[in-house]
Amino acid sequence: MFFHIVLERNMQLHPRHFGRNLRDNIVAKLMKDVEGTCSGRHGFVVAITGIENIGKGLIRDGTGFVSFPVKYQCVVFRPFKGEILEAVVTMVNKMGFFAEAGPVQIFVSNHLIPDDMEFQSGDMPNYTTSDGSVKIQKDSEVRLKIIGTRVDATEIFCIGTIKDDFLGVINDPAAA
Amino acid sequence: MSRRRHREEYEEEQEERAKSSRKRARSVFIDDVAEEDDDDDEEDDDDEDFDGGRGKKQQKRKKSSGFRYIDDEAQVDTDEDEEEGEDGEDDFIDGGADLQDDGDDDDRRRRMYRRPLLPREDEEQEEDVEALEKRIQERYALREEYEGDEEGEVEHQYYLPSVKDPKLWMVKCAIGHEQEVVVCLMQKCIDKGSELNIRSAIALDHLKGYVYVEADKEAHVKEACKGLRNIFASQKGMPKLVPIKEMTDVLAVENKAKAMDLCWVRIKNGTYKGDLAKVVNVDNVRQRVTVKLIPRIDLQALAVGNKSGSKGRGVVVPPPRFMNIDEARELNITVKRGRDPMTGDYFDKIDAMMFKDGFLYKKVSMKSISSQNIKPTLDEVEKFGDITANLSTLFANRKKGHFVKGDAVIVVKGDLKNLKGWVEKVEEDNVHIRPDMKGLPKTISVNEKELCKCFEPGNHVKVVSGTVEGTTGMVVKVEQHVLVILSDTNKEHIRVFADNVVESSEVITSGTLTRIGDYEIHDLVLLNNKSFGVIIGIESTEACRVLMAVPDIHGQVALVKLREIKFKIDKKISVQDQNQNTVATKDVVKIVTGPCKGKQGPVQHIYGGVLFIYDRHHLEHAGFICAKANCCVIAGGSRANGARNYGAQSRSNPQLSNKFSRGHDDLVGKRVMIRQPLYKGCHGIVKEVTGSLVRVELESQTKVVTVDRKFISEKRNVVDYNSTPYRGSETPMHPSRTPMRDNIPGTTPIHDGMRTPMRDRAWNPYTPMRDQAWNPYTPSTPQYQPGSPSPYDSSSSPYVNAPSPYLPSTPNSASYLPSTPGTGGLDTMSPVIGGDNEGPYFMPDILVNVRRLGEEESAVGIVREVLMDGSCRIVLGENGETMTALPDEMEVVAPRKNDKVKIMAGVQRGTTGKLIGVDGSDGIVKVDDSRDVKIIELVLLAKLT
Repeated sequence: MFFHIVLERNMQLHPRHFGRNLRDNIVAKLMKDVEGTCSGRHGFVVAITGIENIGKGLIRDGTGFVSFPVKYQCVVFRPFKGEILEAVVTMVNKMGFFAEAGPVQIFVSNHLIPDDMEFQSGDMPNYTTSDGSVKIQKDSEVRLKIIGTRVDATEIFCIGTIKDDFLGVINDPAAA
Repeated sequence: MSRRRHREEYEEEQEERAKSSRKRARSVFIDDVAEEDDDDDEEDDDDEDFDGGRGKKQQKRKKSSGFRYIDDEAQVDTDEDEEEGEDGEDDFIDGGADLQDDGDDDDRRRRMYRRPLLPREDEEQEEDVEALEKRIQERYALREEYEGDEEGEVEHQYYLPSVKDPKLWMVKCAIGHEQEVVVCLMQKCIDKGSELNIRSAIALDHLKGYVYVEADKEAHVKEACKGLRNIFASQKGMPKLVPIKEMTDVLAVENKAKAMDLCWVRIKNGTYKGDLAKVVNVDNVRQRVTVKLIPRIDLQALAVGNKSGSKGRGVVVPPPRFMNIDEARELNITVKRGRDPMTGDYFDKIDAMMFKDGFLYKKVSMKSISSQNIKPTLDEVEKFGDITANLSTLFANRKKGHFVKGDAVIVVKGDLKNLKGWVEKVEEDNVHIRPDMKGLPKTISVNEKELCKCFEPGNHVKVVSGTVEGTTGMVVKVEQHVLVILSDTNKEHIRVFADNVVESSEVITSGTLTRIGDYEIHDLVLLNNKSFGVIIGIESTEACRVLMAVPDIHGQVALVKLREIKFKIDKKISVQDQNQNTVATKDVVKIVTGPCKGKQGPVQHIYGGVLFIYDRHHLEHAGFICAKANCCVIAGGSRANGARNYGAQSRSNPQLSNKFSRGHDDLVGKRVMIRQPLYKGCHGIVKEVTGSLVRVELESQTKVVTVDRKFISEKRNVVDYNSTPYRGSETPMHPSRTPMRDNIPGTTPIHDGMRTPMRDRAWNPYTPMRDQAWNPYTPSTPQYQPGSPSPYDSSSSPYVNAPSPYLPSTPNSASYLPSTPGTGGLDTMSPVIGGDNEGPYFMPDILVNVRRLGEEESAVGIVREVLMDGSCRIVLGENGETMTALPDEMEVVAPRKNDKVKIMAGVQRGTTGKLIGVDGSDGIVKVDDSRDVKIIELVLLAKLT
């Protein structure tokens, strides 16, 4: 789920960046530091949309660096247990398949794929129903439900299921 | 076994004795004792050779059935000893006898009377073994039925001692002589007949230093003990009366054994050593248990070998396999179908082995199994059938503190079955749970054994016991009490018992499962046979899987023993990719040729020209791909490789890497020029590099000299620092340059060191500032890298690789910070920079020093025009002469304070300003048109006329 929230961060800045462009420098550094990162609490920071305010800088003893408390608005993406997501399949193997929804990687185990879908190995490994009408392979788009998340320092890894009503392939590139 | 029975036996014995001659009885007694000893040995043997005991057994049977009563007595006395090591085959017969003992009194007594009367000769003559077996079996089966009908609570009560019954006295004796004392008492009894008023004497194995004597009066006990060695009945307080209530306890078998029922056990010795077995029946009296095993029977051998044929010691133990009776029949093995008297179930019998549903049912002594701390693996348990059915048996092996507050649990037994809840409090045996359901009390106390942990898909868990202990992962599927977990380490499915798992947010990528000796998973290791590879999986404490460095064949995995690993390779080496770009660890590379073409990921290890790349999308080999360095191209990286695409001209940082790796250095073999005073200008080949010293074999003199590394220039890099700093700044303006350009000879004339001998720093008196500055310049890299103020920072090797210091150390910083002094606008992400480093940074109107080839003196000139090929038209100051100079013949005149300057790089390129101050390597410039004050590296400033 996406959220537009206000976060705060202390930015450390080298004295060389002080001057007229200080604010720009801080913002630029903030974007560089924050965008694309992931925290367990808020999820992935997708984009910074604005700066609420930049507080007064505090010179750090000994280094000359100055830390500015910065409040910024940003769009974050955090997957939740139970959330329904649409994702693109990136890899299929006998254990299940991996799909990506933006920065989040989701694994759907073969235990969580409907029983009537069977793994077909080969050049393009896929899961296919017995009648062949539905096929999950690389680049397929699937709708899945997240049943578990694991948050690392740098990524959120999810386990999803398509073993439920209205879940499964929503757009098959092969069929198109 | 009840006390009463013993008494009666004793009585019988006495009656018996009256009938038989004294002498005979005595000899029998002795005979039996001897035999008993034999038995012990014999049966120990039996353990090793299954069939070997048969012959002897038959012998024994004949004897023992002849002197049943003695046998009985002895059995009580030396119960365990006799049992020890006995195996299934013997059981068959003994079991029969045993049952007779258990039978109801009347019947038994009848037999008891009859049996001793059976003359020994009788038996020897007539019945052959089979018939006897059959007979006993029939009797046995009948018995069973009878017993089933009659056995009940009342019966049980009836056996209990009352005040009318004789008392039990405890008598002290010498430790270790308990049995002897009892035997002596018996002997005395036999000798003296009715004079002795004691009823029985018992020695218990677990009780040292005491025997029990059953008698009506204390005096009788004392009388009986009188004159015997090793028994101290006359001691104070002896004999001691055992209270009636405790009398049963004396002969009761400990509860420990009872608890074993339906437990998992492991066999301690014999063919099945170490095998998991399930206890199906416990015979507390005889200290033996019936266990269910997966048979290890070689049917072929069974079919070929005759019945009495013994198996040698060295025979390989057949693998466990379920018994297929049909198969056995096909091999002409006699299979009998019979009913087990105990349970009433039907068994298939081959020889004396009983099979049911493919399992072997075997009677073993309690001593030959271990029941403590058994941790059956899931696989093992699964072989025994339905896990849920076996579930409760697993609980017996739980550790203490199994449940902790907050655990999600489910009730698996009793009225509350399937109730879910959370653990609130744990007591000794009871667990207080907060039920999931409304309308129930806040907490419910449930026995620990009735609870099982419960999980839901998506839970992140850690395995706390069992073979995969230490693994963490996410629950993918819950099949009742078995979980399927997706391991965090290798993204593989693992099946575990729910009971062995705790919920945990911990992510283990290193831990018990990921360590082997001193090595960890994902370590690069050198093996004994000079090959090397990355550990991608740990099989056990002794072996691991290693992805071998055989780049052409993708994914050769070897199972390597711990001792085969020589050491861990932990070198900071860099190699060159297909485009001669330096690749170091953590750089992201893309594989462009070979079997793994298209894969991409950060380099984890480099060794011997082979890269180990980690691609998280690659599921094989724990995500590792092995590729030759020259099959890859670098794609961005974690650090700014200042020399990126500087092509063959740059060595990433020989000095830096050399600090860590002795020995081979890529400087070795290079032609260098020495800049140290003594050998200044001499050329030579680097022979060896040791720390900061380099041994150079001179070309001019036939000797090898040692010089400081600082004082050598690699021949093609002699280009010098003065000009190089400015390169790399111009990218945006010259998009047309290709990255390969610098690899094409001829387009890079300026790098021909031969042409610029004078450029050597030491030779150039005109750039005083640079002399000291090439250290100060390096700190100019730290844009947003507060941690790297050191002049010898990351990618900056001042000596050999001069250009790098002036490039930003992190490509990102530049792109995000357009106004970064000195680096602004530098598209360092673009791999084309290298090519543009050659590009003209010179701009019109700036002052330059021109030093033509062969000329000692340089002249100051003003750049008038920059030509397409990078050379410039220069108007020399003194005489107004116009000349064309190549970039490497020119050098920007460094501005001083208050000089008019032109910015030569960044977005500000081309703007003019005034240098209002100098701060280390940075200049403070007041830009003319905007009146802004900028901090720009001095090297990027050029003096204007």
